[in-house]
Amino acid sequence: MNKCPEQIVHYMHEYLDGDISGEHEQELKTHLASCPSCQQHMHELSKVAAFVQSASHISAPNGFVEGVTARLPKETSKVGMKR
Amino acid sequence: MDALVNKRIKEVLKGDQNAFAEIVELYQDKLYRVCFRMLGNKHEAEDIAQEAFVRAFINIHTFDTKRKFSTWLYRIGTNLCIDRIRKKKPDYYLDAEVSGTEGLNMYSQIAASEELPEDQVMKMEMQDRVQYEISRLPDKYRAVIVLKYMEDLPLQEISEILEMPLGTVKTRIHRGREALRKQLSNM
Repeated sequence: MNKCPEQIVHYMHEYLDGDISGEHEQELKTHLASCPSCQQHMHELSKVAAFVQSASHISAPNGFVEGVTARLPKETSKVGMKR
Repeated sequence: MDALVNKRIKEVLKGDQNAFAEIVELYQDKLYRVCFRMLGNKHEAEDIAQEAFVRAFINIHTFDTKRKFSTWLYRIGTNLCIDRIRKKKPDYYLDAEVSGTEGLNMYSQIAASEELPEDQVMKMEMQDRVQYEISRLPDKYRAVIVLKYMEDLPLQEISEILEMPLGTVKTRIHRGREALRKQLSNM
């Protein structure tokens, strides 16, 4: 890995962010084709995304809306009300 | 969705609290999910997400309806989460009630900085494992990773939510992703 250009890892992240220029992408692909250790690095970074996304299905608990409503300041419901 | 939300906001501004309940209904899952991922604890996530909606209600007159409501709401929510994480004592959860709380287990009670023995980590359910690894991320990477990967938000919107330059968001995502890669290298 020592002889790999420093910017390659940076290009990997640009690629994963969908934020890479055509030029950088070409350089990345050319390098990956000839470098197993950077391929491995790229593979692990791609796995991170899949791993994190595998747990994105969560819903608010029952009664959440009622909980918010109960915490709202009461008097604002009557605009202009004065004591 | 934004047109409907803006209509409801106008009704809220006229004093109709029921219209606000409809807004909460629409966004509760999104906001709760982000809070849960940031905080790693269901009770805290519910508390903070509800507090975020209360603050949105109180400050609704400051929302610019030309902008995206979810961006504004996420900003309130993530700020509250970051405050809570910073205030949290390391042993905050240790004596918290676990029995009878549906879906809660010891792993969702582990504070961010604690290390578990490797064999325990390997036995975790996927959901808990993801949460555990995210909770081990340094605070400043956690928010960007959650917004980017769990909510699938564009980098520009993350930059608006967290009120930091786009370049900073990118750097933090890169570092957060490298940190997770290292944490997961034993999988």
